[in-house]
Amino acid sequence: MALNPTEPKWSLRLPADCSIAAIRNVYELIREAFGRQERLEIDCSSVDKADVTSIQLLLSTAKTGEAQGRPVVLTSFSQSLRNTLRRAGFASEAMIDQHFPQKKDGT
Amino acid sequence: MSGMDPTEVFRQEASELFEVLEGALLDLGQRPDDRELVDSAFRALHTIKGSGAMFGFDKVASFTHEFETAFDRVRKGEIRPTQELISVALAAKDYIRALIEDPQSTDDIIGEAILDDLKRFVSADQPAAPVVEIAEAPALAPAESKQAGWHLHLEFESHILRNGSNPLDLLEDLCKLGPCFVVPITDGIPFLDEMDPEDCYLKWDVKLHAACDKDAIDDVFMFVQDEMKLTLSPLEHSEAPAPAPLFQLLDEELAPAAEMPAPVVEAAAAPVAEQPVAEQPVAKQPVAKAEPKSESKPEPKSEAKRDDRGIATVRVQAERLDELMDRVGELVIAQARLTQLASSGSDLSIKMIAEEIERLASSLRDTTMGARMVPIGSLFGRFRRLVHDLSRDLSKPVEFVTSGEDTELDKTMIECLADPLVHLIRNAIDHGIEDTATRTANGKTEQGRIELAAVHSGAQVLVTVKDNGGGLNTARIRAKAEEQGLIAAGAVLTDHEIHQFLFHPGFSTAQTISALSGRGVGMDVVKRTIENMRGTIDLSTRPGQGTTVTLRLPLTLAIIEGLLIRVGEGRYIIPLSAVEECIELTAEDERSRGRNFLNVRGNLVPFLRLREIMTASGAPDRHQKTIIISTGETHVGLVADQIIGNHQTVIKSLSKLHSDVTIFSGATILGDGTAALILDVAQLVALAQSKVEKQHISEAA
Repeated sequence: MALNPTEPKWSLRLPADCSIAAIRNVYELIREAFGRQERLEIDCSSVDKADVTSIQLLLSTAKTGEAQGRPVVLTSFSQSLRNTLRRAGFASEAMIDQHFPQKKDGT
Repeated sequence: MSGMDPTEVFRQEASELFEVLEGALLDLGQRPDDRELVDSAFRALHTIKGSGAMFGFDKVASFTHEFETAFDRVRKGEIRPTQELISVALAAKDYIRALIEDPQSTDDIIGEAILDDLKRFVSADQPAAPVVEIAEAPALAPAESKQAGWHLHLEFESHILRNGSNPLDLLEDLCKLGPCFVVPITDGIPFLDEMDPEDCYLKWDVKLHAACDKDAIDDVFMFVQDEMKLTLSPLEHSEAPAPAPLFQLLDEELAPAAEMPAPVVEAAAAPVAEQPVAEQPVAKQPVAKAEPKSESKPEPKSEAKRDDRGIATVRVQAERLDELMDRVGELVIAQARLTQLASSGSDLSIKMIAEEIERLASSLRDTTMGARMVPIGSLFGRFRRLVHDLSRDLSKPVEFVTSGEDTELDKTMIECLADPLVHLIRNAIDHGIEDTATRTANGKTEQGRIELAAVHSGAQVLVTVKDNGGGLNTARIRAKAEEQGLIAAGAVLTDHEIHQFLFHPGFSTAQTISALSGRGVGMDVVKRTIENMRGTIDLSTRPGQGTTVTLRLPLTLAIIEGLLIRVGEGRYIIPLSAVEECIELTAEDERSRGRNFLNVRGNLVPFLRLREIMTASGAPDRHQKTIIISTGETHVGLVADQIIGNHQTVIKSLSKLHSDVTIFSGATILGDGTAALILDVAQLVALAQSKVEKQHISEAA
């Protein structure tokens, strides 16, 4: 959740709750980070609650980043997020990779 | 929604759903074959589960899920909803409610016990399975069983996530039907700036490789079918045999990338890859050729349900309504001033405008009051459970009949009415209705009957609680009253007067007290509550046939019809409902100074000189007027200088500083901008009575 200004590329860590109950905040967070930085890295390691809205938001972030030619890197998908992605039919790494081209596992 | 705690919204919503659920369960007890009831109970459960999960009530969601699963067999018609099952289901409902409203107060053990009970009932007759309607599942299958499965295209309405529905759960349920091949379609996802994060943009294509029948699939989507587009088309054998079930939910290991069959990437690649992708799975190619039986399900069926929703309601915070009512009150006051001003001048056009505004203001007032009106049925519903439980606990079979549910009452009144009615109904069951043996002995039906009715009667609403029990025991009440020194032994009193002792604080015919109620205990509280609402309570009883309690309530608390009077310089309002008649104070009555009794057609009525109470200055008018007011049976005269006339009174409550003022119940603002106090009739009557008593004592001395 915290932005770390000391690093050249900014890293945004998603909060634990990325479910619909909190998604609006996450959305604002990402938009804010988008407005600020050239290169955005989103750390998904602490995501504990995820649902359709979380996936959509990440997809949209990736899509927007791509369209604007600005790199958005998603790192360290948490197990919970992976599960949710799989339940939504993003059944394999390959698919996830394909939708999130700039994913980095960070591990 | 802004500004409101979403959890609170959920609580409110849930409490409405609980009412629906409870109503449906109770009805089900009487009409076990009514599918509509089962469905509505199920829908309520499902929504509670969904919203519960959404708002972080995880325990609620998981418990409700279990409940739902257990109840599912009822829904499928495999088991009949017996009384026992319904009692357990009601207990389960209470538990969920407790989980939502006060999670601390509950224990998981209770929940587990309830679930065990439920499961026991639900599985008890599994072997026998007295199937009520099995026609459903297998019957349709043979004709279509050739096909290898189904091809589904799911598109949800954008708001669906907000309702607490979770497409992922639906997909999961689909996977339970057989090996599933789920492909998300992501081309609907907008850019960040255009996105509403709570909307649903994802769509799915699903290939279900199972020869299940269409109803099974419909079942999965039954709760969301109004809010989605589901396109179903059968898959043929010829089509690629079920790919190894890639999508296995519980499988922790992700399929390695290399093994991914091409179609998936292709199908999902909308943003990147070529265009036909998104369409291909929908219906076009192999499927369409095979059997163009794709149907677009939701539209026709949802029509009827939409209509129900057409009578849209908007949930408004109560305070806002109160605020609105306040504003309208101010407007009515301002309008009264305008009217007064206009009538004192001679400008015709101003008079016309004043009349126009008067008309508008009064219709606005009526509309606003109407907005605060709630059908009393919402309150009645709660008592069905009470009767159900009491009747079980006391083993007195009781039929509970309600009528006039549509009668509308001010929202605040409805809330105030709940407790008194609970009390009256408890009394009626506990003491009114005799036990089965006594009833049979007296040649009555075994099943007691309690009627709760509401009707409009002029500007009042009458709410009656009627039982067909044994009636009040007048002799016992009298004995008790004598014992407590409320009446002298041997005093001549009508039955009606004797029954009034039931409303006396602390009065109870002691032998009859039970854990639930003792007729008399708390009746004073009931009476006080009703009187605080400016209502009255009346008892009538017929030995051996039952008791009827009648509550008379004004339609609203905010505006009353008042009688405007003048005492010295001050002006006061007497609620018109309490006014019996106005008479002149004759010279003869004047002479009886000191005794303060009026002779009204042969009856002696005590009177109060308002000039004395208000310590009015100046000389009294020559012809003093007396207004006879009454509360129930007691009449009191109030002597005033002048009766000005009717007045539509918008009640403003007095500030806390004046909370010790007893003879005024509030204030209002008159047309000329001055304030007038509203007399509290009950207090004045009490005051007059105490004076009479004092007089008695001084005369006796």
